[in-house]
Amino acid sequence: MADEEDPTFEEENEEIGGGAEGGQGKRKRLFSKELRCMVYGFGDDQNPYTESVDVLEDLVIEFVTEMTHKAMSIGRQGRVQVEDIIFLTRKDPGKFARVKDLFTMNEELKRARKAFDEANYDYGS
Amino acid sequence: PGKGRVTGVSGEGGVVPLDPSPSCLDRIPRDRFEELRKACDEEGELRRQDGPRPRAGEEADSSSRPPAAKRRKVATKGKRPGKQAVDELEAQKMRTLVSSMSQEQLDRYEVYRRSAFPKATMKRLIQTVAGSTVSQNTVIAMSGVAKVFVGQVVEEALDVCEKWGETPPLQPKHMREAVRRLRSKGQIPGSKHKKILFF
Repeated sequence: MADEEDPTFEEENEEIGGGAEGGQGKRKRLFSKELRCMVYGFGDDQNPYTESVDVLEDLVIEFVTEMTHKAMSIGRQGRVQVEDIIFLTRKDPGKFARVKDLFTMNEELKRARKAFDEANYDYGS
Repeated sequence: PGKGRVTGVSGEGGVVPLDPSPSCLDRIPRDRFEELRKACDEEGELRRQDGPRPRAGEEADSSSRPPAAKRRKVATKGKRPGKQAVDELEAQKMRTLVSSMSQEQLDRYEVYRRSAFPKATMKRLIQTVAGSTVSQNTVIAMSGVAKVFVGQVVEEALDVCEKWGETPPLQPKHMREAVRRLRSKGQIPGSKHKKILFF
């Protein structure tokens, strides 16, 4: 099992892809800082409990792991693509809307960049 | 005011049901929102009270903060009539909403918008699970969805907390109950168990 006595020893990526359970593993905390900000933004107290943030982090890692596994099993097998994520979240309005938004924005940006590049090309720069 | 939350599910846009009379117009908006406020002033969208009231500072006090007041439900609808006009309308509503926020609400809103998962860490996580490299777009999409996920859990947990007659900060038991509820609503992936229909 992970040795917690030496805090300077980095245990990166240990058991990240681990089991389906909440996983109270001894892995290093990945998102502590960002999650603390996030929960405040979503309505929690400005100083959230560390234990709660830890629970959330485990949930997020489990969520991402599940999504990744599922994405690999659909569409282009063995790959994780944006289209897969769009498909997987189709039943959840909140997540689906967000992914669609990001995807649409990305397409718009690509189009804008392409138009910009072509304009530059015409001017011979 | 009715109970509601900012879910922000549609990113920039979102139809916001506003209160007929925006309350709490007596605080000084931040510099970065100054422009937005001016835009609203010019269009006369807001009815301002005569002269600013001095800030009592009580609203910023967490102890007296009413949980329901700072949350609004943002619902998205599919709209057809001129996407540009709709976007502009929604942007206008957002400006109006933001300009009527208290300082505490502004703080929270800013953090809500800016908070995000670190791309490098997320990329490492996905690649470790996938066993292969993933594109930057995938990382962005996954981070976005994960943030929505966190929002859903926290919202539900705040509901649970309130229902149990307790106050923030949220405790692990609230989180776990929230997850249990969301799972039964099918909003959390991961149960490889088939639902047993007839037993």
